[in-house]
Amino acid sequence: MFKKSHPLQSRSEILLRNIVVLIMVVFFTVFLIVPIGIAFAGSFHEWNPLSGTYRFLGIENYLNVFTSQLFGKSMVNTLIFSVVVIVFRVGLGLGIAYAIYSALIKHKSFYRAIYYMPVVTPMVAVAFVWKFMYNPQIGIINQVLGTDINWLKNPQTALLAVMVMTIWKDFGYAVVMYMAGLYSLPGDVMEAAQVDGAKSWQKFLYITLPLLKPMSLFVIITSIISYIQAYVQILIMTEGGPGTATYLASYIIYDEAFVKYNFGYASALSFVLFVITAVFTWLSFRVSGSEG
Amino acid sequence: MKRKISSILLNLVLLGLGLITVYPFIWMFLSSFKKNKEIMALHQTLLPQKFIFTNYVTMNSRFNFLRFFANSLFITLAVTVIVIYTSTLCGFVLSKYKFKGRDLLFGFVLSTMMIPWCVTIIPKYSMIQAFGWMDSYAALIIPAMFSGFGIFMMKQHIASIPDEILEAARIDGANEFYIFHRIVFPLAKNGISSIAIFQFLWAWEDYLWPYLVINTQEKQLLSVGLKMFNGQYSTDYGALFAATTISIIPVLLIYLFFQKRFIAGIAASAVKG
Repeated sequence: MFKKSHPLQSRSEILLRNIVVLIMVVFFTVFLIVPIGIAFAGSFHEWNPLSGTYRFLGIENYLNVFTSQLFGKSMVNTLIFSVVVIVFRVGLGLGIAYAIYSALIKHKSFYRAIYYMPVVTPMVAVAFVWKFMYNPQIGIINQVLGTDINWLKNPQTALLAVMVMTIWKDFGYAVVMYMAGLYSLPGDVMEAAQVDGAKSWQKFLYITLPLLKPMSLFVIITSIISYIQAYVQILIMTEGGPGTATYLASYIIYDEAFVKYNFGYASALSFVLFVITAVFTWLSFRVSGSEG
Repeated sequence: MKRKISSILLNLVLLGLGLITVYPFIWMFLSSFKKNKEIMALHQTLLPQKFIFTNYVTMNSRFNFLRFFANSLFITLAVTVIVIYTSTLCGFVLSKYKFKGRDLLFGFVLSTMMIPWCVTIIPKYSMIQAFGWMDSYAALIIPAMFSGFGIFMMKQHIASIPDEILEAARIDGANEFYIFHRIVFPLAKNGISSIAIFQFLWAWEDYLWPYLVINTQEKQLLSVGLKMFNGQYSTDYGALFAATTISIIPVLLIYLFFQKRFIAGIAASAVKG
């Protein structure tokens, strides 16, 4: 199956390698490449499994995507949602990680464990907890803030409420990532800065922050990929409402595919979203590359 | 002195943020022991004025919640164990064997992580119907047997195992199957812990896929059950809090149990990656 490239390879090594590579290729072909092909072909068809329709449309689905007001609105929502959540995630993550890393804090692993808790809890369940917390009758948020707002039913606050919940759930991931980044920094550079008499904020701004750039890039890219795909919190907390205030791009796909069963149109939406994800990922690499 | 004051201040800030982070869990947990009347009351206390356990009973008698729980536990454990094994095996082959096309294959595995769920879920749903796997656990387990993320993680971890250990075993006459199961597997514990926690969480919280492929209520999983329960008993808040608590506590316990090793594993792979 493969050319022998290493003279010392034993028969069991070649056997194991061939089995593993074969299974991997078969698995990813069946459950990834073939589905992508089917979805791509389907995006050019009117495809509805309930009525059994599969009719060629050309690029009409894509034209509908780009002229759809709801999709436009959802892209604006997704952009606001992603930018705000990523800014807070990175900002809180970096700030808290740096605070825990400082010599002033003793119980480092205690804090790290606490902040990471929401990250490892199921989204469906915590979305329910927050839905109850925003509830105007029983919710804790109005009680604590002394307000009387129906957070999830008010078009002005609904997206904000979902963003706050998402920040709460996700910032701990950035804390742990930045802590890992901080501990892997070269100690001699930090010591040299100490000797040069750099003030602590100068040290942070001109030495620590640039050294953490690969980690920032990692956190930002994984965040972009996951927020463009976020829909569970919307499904549980608002179902896109009130009106279209909280429609996110991935929620429309869920809605078109598995509520309305417009498989063709949903596939076209998915590919548009896929391209957008790829472009943003590429852009973040470019931006970070040109700075450094 | 100044140092001591800033240390105390910083600790207070971190404690405050930590309290905000855990408060929703505490509130949910304590509310699950309250009567509905107390949950709806104008003046609320964090601690229940009267501890009751009936929410946990009604939750189960009305909705057979423990059945969903058991189903989820079975599927989640099965998928997690399989993914740990396949990820470690693929990670071993991709990091320790040299062969043509290896980097291409690894690059491909990496790129699978970038594909949004929405691109493949519709065709996968149609394929499951064509295979005749609808309403069976094959639909939940088989498409989840390999994970791009898991393979990536394990390749990073196994790369740090020194080749000399493996060579020494080979000279002693060990075959590759022995080396993988008896040497590589135990040495990859940190990576395995991180995959265990993540994969357990992902399988446990997955909503859309079981919702699509499982039709019989007795076979359904917990997150789908939780949403159905909320739809049907949307005013029985006590029971809703109890159900939500049940669906969070197991994952939290697993996390708290493994967290040290797990966080070390996660962080290491990101630094190297």
